[in-house]
Amino acid sequence: MASTTSQPSHAQAQVDSKARQTGWTALIILALLLMEWALVEALKIAPPISIVAKHPHKMAIYMRIFYVHVPAFMAGFTAFFVNFLASAAYLWKRSLKSDALAIAGAEVGVVFTSIGLITGPIWAKPIWGIWWTWDPRLTLTLVLWVMYVSYLMLRQLTPTNEQQPRLAAALAIFFFFDVPIDYMAIRWWRTQHPQPVLFGGANSGLDPRMATALWCGVAAFLLLAGLLFRLRYRLECDRQRIAVLRREAALRET
Amino acid sequence: MSAPISTASRPGTAAERPPAPKFWRVWARIVLRDIKLELRSREALQAMLFYALLIIIIFSFAFEAGAELTSRVGGALLWVAFLFAGLVALDRVFLRELPEASLLGFQISPASRTALLAGKFTASFLLMIAVELLLLPLFAIFFNPPPEARWGMIILVLLAGTWALAASGTYFSALSLHTRYRALLLPLLLLPLAIPAIVAMVQATQHLLDGQGEVAYWLRLLVGFDILYTTLGLALADVVIQTE
Repeated sequence: MASTTSQPSHAQAQVDSKARQTGWTALIILALLLMEWALVEALKIAPPISIVAKHPHKMAIYMRIFYVHVPAFMAGFTAFFVNFLASAAYLWKRSLKSDALAIAGAEVGVVFTSIGLITGPIWAKPIWGIWWTWDPRLTLTLVLWVMYVSYLMLRQLTPTNEQQPRLAAALAIFFFFDVPIDYMAIRWWRTQHPQPVLFGGANSGLDPRMATALWCGVAAFLLLAGLLFRLRYRLECDRQRIAVLRREAALRET
Repeated sequence: MSAPISTASRPGTAAERPPAPKFWRVWARIVLRDIKLELRSREALQAMLFYALLIIIIFSFAFEAGAELTSRVGGALLWVAFLFAGLVALDRVFLRELPEASLLGFQISPASRTALLAGKFTASFLLMIAVELLLLPLFAIFFNPPPEARWGMIILVLLAGTWALAASGTYFSALSLHTRYRALLLPLLLLPLAIPAIVAMVQATQHLLDGQGEVAYWLRLLVGFDILYTTLGLALADVVIQTE
């Protein structure tokens, strides 16, 4: 991003924007290709084995949604974490850039967590026979989603002036520290969700071909989330600049 | 307090500014003033009592209240009534300061905003506890709790649970003061945050009502929530209490 303090010459700015445009297009094409590859890996190459061992083989087709479900959550949770870091940074330095990062993090996070929360029940219905259960991990994820929707509600109902970034950051900090307590409150119910396959312990781990499909998916989703994040961040920066220009114009008129 | 934002721009040197009043003095003044105002008008007290009473009555119609129901979901019924009544109190915490711009006056004064938030928290905590203690006998009359219920411990859970709601609720009350749909936004912010506290208070109360099950774990969790959000709220008081 060209900073507002150093004013580059018009020609220089044009070259910059052209280079940025090219880089942007390249990233979008890369994301599309990665998505494509992840899809092929997930639907064709990955062996039809269910991660839940006791399930009959023909059920394993449902398991392929796993390659969307897990990457979506990884992208979503990463975005939420960015929101927390940006909110803390805002309270510390009071820079509007951090606030733009926080907005982008929350919105992208809600989108990807929603994808995870929708794909989960689609898998659960044929495998567990129910759409939803109040299992700790499901509950915690839903609570997390609810919290960030609540955060976006606050942003929507607060006037867009100096107040909003401050209040939103104050809320984000409160919510972030709630997650471990939520975990402790919720884990006392029994667990129905399959145990972690990644980083889970001695018996966890995937067939190598499944791992390839999964990591392709993760890379594709993270890249997509990153692109959306950057887009939302720049939109917010533009909105902030317009607000500043408006205020200056109003001052000049009076 | 960390990062005093607005004090830097204040005119005058340190010598001619009066010394900031002591934290506990400000706190005590706020608490006493709010209690006095509440006792004079008794507006919130009456409204909350009647509201919670209505909720309890509606529940007894909706669920066909009886001893069997109480031993199953009594804790939940009790806390839903207290939660809604508490929201009435929490919504009003800072509202009183708006008409005469006393919040602005407070901000101009050298008194610490942390003390203001602490005072407001204490006053709303006491108000909520008063309402709950008045309602508890009514609950016992309407819902026939089992004789093995341990009321002493239930009051302990009441204190810890109300502290949790009051601490996070006062903070959110300050946070949502200048937003649109303030009265709606407060529960939208408070309820997601309070989920673990609500789970803990309902579980603990439930186990105490039917006299079996783990209580210590939930009580510990509740106290942990209290400590965390009291500290965090006071630390961020300067951030949330600001007028336009």
